[in-house]
Amino acid sequence: MVARQKRTMTGEIEEAPRRVDGQPEESVIRHLLDMFPSTLTDFKKVRDGLLRAKIERRDLYKACKTLRDILGFEHLSMISAVEYDDRFEIVYHITSYSKGLLVELITTTPKDDPSVDSISSIWGGANWQERESFDLMGIKFNGHPKLERILLPKDYVYFPLRKDFKGGG
Amino acid sequence: MAEMWINMGPQHPMTHGLWNLRIKVDGETIVDAEPEVGYLHRGIEKICENRTYTQVIPISDRLCYGSSMSWSHLYCLTVEDLMGIEVPERAEYIRVAVLEMQRIASHLMWLAAYAADLGAMIGFIYTMRDREIWIDLLQALTGSRITYNYPRIGGVAHDLPANWDRDALRACDYMDKKLKEYEDLFDGSKVFMMRNEGVGILKKEDALNLGVTGPPLRASGVKYDLRKDQPYSVYPEIDFQPCYHTDRDCYARYKVRMDEMAMSCHIIRQAIKKMPKGKWRVVAPRNGPVGTGLGRVEDPRGEGMMYLVGDGTDRPYRLKIRSPIFVTVSAAPKMLIGYKVADVVAIMGGLDMCIGETDR
Amino acid sequence: MDLKASGTDPSVGQVIAFKSRDFLKWWDGVFEGVLRRSPVGSGVDLVTKDFFNWATRNSIYPLHFGIMCCALEMAVASAPRFDAQRFGVIYRSTPRQCDVLLVNGPVSKKLKPALRRLYDQMPGPKWVIAMGECAISGGPFYNSYSIVPGVDQFIPVDIYIPGCPARPEALIDAFIKLQKLIKENKKGLLTGK
Repeated sequence: MVARQKRTMTGEIEEAPRRVDGQPEESVIRHLLDMFPSTLTDFKKVRDGLLRAKIERRDLYKACKTLRDILGFEHLSMISAVEYDDRFEIVYHITSYSKGLLVELITTTPKDDPSVDSISSIWGGANWQERESFDLMGIKFNGHPKLERILLPKDYVYFPLRKDFKGGG
Repeated sequence: MAEMWINMGPQHPMTHGLWNLRIKVDGETIVDAEPEVGYLHRGIEKICENRTYTQVIPISDRLCYGSSMSWSHLYCLTVEDLMGIEVPERAEYIRVAVLEMQRIASHLMWLAAYAADLGAMIGFIYTMRDREIWIDLLQALTGSRITYNYPRIGGVAHDLPANWDRDALRACDYMDKKLKEYEDLFDGSKVFMMRNEGVGILKKEDALNLGVTGPPLRASGVKYDLRKDQPYSVYPEIDFQPCYHTDRDCYARYKVRMDEMAMSCHIIRQAIKKMPKGKWRVVAPRNGPVGTGLGRVEDPRGEGMMYLVGDGTDRPYRLKIRSPIFVTVSAAPKMLIGYKVADVVAIMGGLDMCIGETDR
Repeated sequence: MDLKASGTDPSVGQVIAFKSRDFLKWWDGVFEGVLRRSPVGSGVDLVTKDFFNWATRNSIYPLHFGIMCCALEMAVASAPRFDAQRFGVIYRSTPRQCDVLLVNGPVSKKLKPALRRLYDQMPGPKWVIAMGECAISGGPFYNSYSIVPGVDQFIPVDIYIPGCPARPEALIDAFIKLQKLIKENKKGLLTGK
């Protein structure tokens, strides 16, 4: 039922191997806990294929580099910013194609200093997502190559998704 | 030689949707590119914080209007993950059948615009005619042509009308014949092949690093389809293969989508045959619990995700939407540099952009 | 207007030569005097008014401008099933060649100057059709922080098409209503009456 493919230049096909249940999550948890014993907290396996962890923002860059280089997480899926009463939370969803896993890394910043390190030098896909979080929620990403507004007009002053922005919605 | 920046947009017949592509040209060759989005920003994430969970469903339809069923389905999946609701099996099979029909309609719409941009106006005429058949089926089921408001939290809105499955199977047979006709029409056209082969090459490492998902990723050689590798709904029960290609150029992206249409017909047939009788909806509670929900689907354009934070009331506290095209467009400069201005149409058209979901 | 003063030496071979600005001023003077304000102008108008009006209303050229979901229905209106071309409706890519601006989606604050500029670039006579709820009043996003609630806040609109999304048949009905509107407001091309 799969249609024909053309024979051409390169010819390598990458196959995503099926997960062996239980194994990949355990090894990832163990490796990360070894590397960051004090700053990685609240590690748990939510369901098959989904891990959740909290990490402090000073170790975020090193943890993401470990995930990409050593543990084989090739794809950054989503960066979300959530505002609570006393803090901002920035949630990173990182996928591994080869292992079939999704890791949810949650970083917390205080209300008066919403800034974290930018990971756009690790995954290029983070570039525009960080700009969007800056545009709508006002989170500053240190080391971002071009932190400007992307969805709203360039001279807009407010950060609309914050809870104290009452206009609209 | 003087280099200059050219604005293609926001009003340009090539732009499918409303965005601005700024390219820096040296004569005819593109030296740099910078996409500019945000002309369609409606503030959907802020609007959703003031609507109840069910009132968000028609708004999530309008995220990507080319494939609106998959976005409202993604939202319902996310809320069901937050509330911990088990959807009845008949509803799951109906959802899968309708989603694959939406995938075929979305790819046909893409092919119509793509062919019209490349000058093959006959492609526009034929594909629009065939898309009407699928739109008629969806209209008989839901009552609307493009923004359906059909999935509900806990199932679907209502049951199938009489003879709908018979008509759907007939449509699949018709579609298989028509796909052979499209292959003759496009692959046999020398101009179409010359404009697509070798144009817009995206290497595998770049595609993985820049977060490209969906048909452009599978056309770069990575065999990864969320319906197979991280299955949701009732996809584990259905037998199909992800469609991929190794050429990395515009022709490969076109071919991946044509193969996906044939595969979708295969999936619709299985879903309709295996559909059990029973309930099609479970009533969901009005107030959501405190916690978070995550939904992830294989949208016709890539990997769509939603992250929902609930706070105990009947409104979402925060809804974050991951749009596949938002990230794929940021990878556009990698595909454009080094090619000519006339190739911009083929390269950007091959990404199947829907600016509704980019700008939210 | 002294013709000889702006001409070159007759011995070179040219008898009357203008600079282009002077030519336009001279021609406008002739036009104004003879054609527009005299009975010649009204006579020509009387004879040709019906013909030009018939030609205008049977060849409405909208602009290729799609904003949101109603743009899909606009594209389908030129597809084989609903076929707007039999009414003379052909989509043009540049605003300089268009009669009608179809606004078919919500107008965000970032798009507002660009849309106003497109409207100003269209030569008269021109009309505007607001298609769908978002263009009429903001639609489902009426209280969003970043859209203008209704396109008639900054552009004069002639025809409103309700619907979310508006069906292609409704768009074709709007074109027919626009044809009736053009027929009722017949204006002569020369005198403007």
